[in-house]
Amino acid sequence: MPSTFSIVWIIGGVIVLAVLVMSIVFLIKSIKRAKAIGMETSTIKKIITSSAVFSIVPSIPIVIGVGILMSFVGMGIAWIRLSVIGALQYEIFAQQLVFNAGAGIDPIQLIGTSLLLMTFGIVSGPIFNAIAYKKYQGKLASIQEKNSKLMDGISGALMGGMLSGMISSIIVTAIFNFNNPITDKAGITTYGEVTLIALCTSIVLMALCGVVLKVFKQKWIENYALPISMLGAMAVAYACVPLFA
Amino acid sequence: MKKELFTKVASTRQEHNEQMHNIGRLFTWIALVLIMLVPVLYFIQAKTWPNWKVFVAALPGVVGAYFIVGFIEAISYAPLLGTGGQYLSFITGNVSNLKLPCAINAQNIAKTETGSEEQEIVTTISIAVSSIVTTLIIIVGLIPLAIFQSQIVDVLKPISPYIIPAIFGGLMIACMAKYAKVALIPFIICVIICVITEALNLGLGQTVMILVGMVVSGVFTAILYKKGKL
Repeated sequence: MPSTFSIVWIIGGVIVLAVLVMSIVFLIKSIKRAKAIGMETSTIKKIITSSAVFSIVPSIPIVIGVGILMSFVGMGIAWIRLSVIGALQYEIFAQQLVFNAGAGIDPIQLIGTSLLLMTFGIVSGPIFNAIAYKKYQGKLASIQEKNSKLMDGISGALMGGMLSGMISSIIVTAIFNFNNPITDKAGITTYGEVTLIALCTSIVLMALCGVVLKVFKQKWIENYALPISMLGAMAVAYACVPLFA
Repeated sequence: MKKELFTKVASTRQEHNEQMHNIGRLFTWIALVLIMLVPVLYFIQAKTWPNWKVFVAALPGVVGAYFIVGFIEAISYAPLLGTGGQYLSFITGNVSNLKLPCAINAQNIAKTETGSEEQEIVTTISIAVSSIVTTLIIIVGLIPLAIFQSQIVDVLKPISPYIIPAIFGGLMIACMAKYAKVALIPFIICVIICVITEALNLGLGQTVMILVGMVVSGVFTAILYKKGKL
């Protein structure tokens, strides 16, 4: 594993601190506003708890991503790149592009060049927000004001479209990968059969949580239904991977 | 910078929104400068320069695959993330696989109405909490990674591709009642597009399919709206 320059650790610490401060400022401002408009403290607590619990499991692949990426670019850079906007598949893609194009060149220079490329690739979203998002949102707000039905329709369409695109991609890719596991650039192998098993387990567990909520009137389960279905599906996937490997 | 931007509780939705924009833009610029400083400081300490020939050779792949997609994502996710959530999500990342599902889960729990201020606030709170939790988990994860890198990666790597189906299976059921009307036909169209592209060996991947789904669903909703069936 390449070593990390001390300055990378320092700037990484500053970035992570900035991310935490930003999140805490937004959290406090939103909680205060929630109380000002009459939202109950118990509801706010419920949202915070469920969001915290929900976020634990999906964070694990990010840590694994740091473990994989650090083999190529060192721990400090992997930590920074996966703590801010970006994703393992993108970082690996950029790193591989640079390493393939620069075979035989000093690795320190290549790591720096791939870091520069990774940084360039992810800035478009934040730049849009910093420059144009306020104006864009103003336009969305004026549609909402003039025709709330249309705006609600647009929001519903985007949300429904997001779910449709994601779930269709998961299902179809999984079916095409039956008996044909895919190993990506990070060396992670995906078995189509296990993908579908995880998806179906999650669906079944969520439906069961719904039954427990509606039939047995266990209201507490509402806050934990998604983490339960997610964890259950992961456990089943973990047990199934060796069967197909 | 006015201190009251951070301390004053807004008295109207508009004022709160204005504060969110001001804080969001401030932090976005700070984060952008810090993120761009990383390669600069790296090269200073390494006493070397980027290899521009290699950089230029690799650039088109990254621009096509990520720079443009990042821009489109920022536009298309905006109506779903709310003001604070949008700024936070596009600094901390993992929007479709973590921040948005987390926000949808929180909205379902709080039973907020689409477009309401409550929904906006719940979304921002959930994304802020999610960002804090993920950032802390990564920091904590660095310690065992430093000691047992290969063992940890070997144990956990096999299950990492299944987090997304594990999240979206449950989420699909949770959202079915709310979005079935606008999402059923787009879902079928997305499946057809996926089958065709996969059969032609042109798999679009989840990121692109989400954007395709949003476009298909947008067109379908516009048709429903024009026919007065929305």
